Amino acid sequence: MKRILIVDDAATVRMFHRTILESAGYTVDEAVNGIEALEKALQSAYDLYMVDINMPKLDGYGFLRELRGHDIPQPPAIMISTEAEASDQSQAYASGANAYLIKPSKPEQLLVHVRLLIGEA
Amino acid sequence: MAFIKNRTSDAVAQDERKMPRDCASLVLELDNPDPMVRRWAARDLADCHEAAGDLVSRLRREDDASVREIIFSTLTGLGDGTAVAGLVECLRSQDASLRNEAIEAMQQLPDEVAPIMRGLLADPDADLRIFAVNILESLRHPGVEPWLIEVIEHDAEVNVCATAVDLLGEVGSAAAGAPLKRLKARFADEPYIQFAADLALKRIAEG
Repeated sequence: MKRILIVDDAATVRMFHRTILESAGYTVDEAVNGIEALEKALQSAYDLYMVDINMPKLDGYGFLRELRGHDIPQPPAIMISTEAEASDQSQAYASGANAYLIKPSKPEQLLVHVRLLIGEA
Repeated sequence: MAFIKNRTSDAVAQDERKMPRDCASLVLELDNPDPMVRRWAARDLADCHEAAGDLVSRLRREDDASVREIIFSTLTGLGDGTAVAGLVECLRSQDASLRNEAIEAMQQLPDEVAPIMRGLLADPDADLRIFAVNILESLRHPGVEPWLIEVIEHDAEVNVCATAVDLLGEVGSAAAGAPLKRLKARFADEPYIQFAADLALKRIAEG
């Protein structure tokens, strides 16, 4: 079963995404900021990261930049943010994101992107 | 060849501490190329109320995280109008970590931030309104719930309301019940709002 790490400081957002992904058969883990996400990513294997931009301690850009600098398997990452500006999207892709979604997420749209990147659960 | 002894960090720190510590000299040291000197200066400016503007100005171009941390700490201690206005300007920065540090600093200043909160929540920039709601997350002030209710009743931007409803699920009382139901009706086609508002209503009902 494919594993997805949700990285978001908002507990309700994590719960919402977890509900959507688990209903589609994926296994989900959570991190509340970039620091915790990095620790988990270096200890466990995931098939996909879903990453918020604005988080305390280490934001989404910083997490992906750090992660992409490590010599480990590099699964794809979806960045999810309230920021709709083109500059934010450019920065996300430059940091190592593979897709960019604007909050609030729509379940069907989210699952389309997840399946495109890693296939069915 | 002359032997040049390396100066340790402690020695440098002690040397820098021997320099003049009056407010005007400390402000000048904020532009010193050595981060350690800037760090000490920012720390020692804690008693210089007239320095808030200079600290804010330095913050905008300071790229050393440890110096920034001290500047935020000193500004939080000063907590005057200039310091708070400087923190608000940081919320408008494109630098996500600078914004987050400003949010954390403002959370420590409930009495100083409260008078400007309505203005922040009415700012034309939706991102800034989201950051204002983020400040409320840890702001110990009796106005938090009424402010959040105002947001979900009136703000047109779904993500501002989404951020507010998340927090209402944690701090809301029975007073938030009807506004949450009206929010659900206002954003009937947004699954996230339906999910978050239902969760908040459940938590409030459970007390």
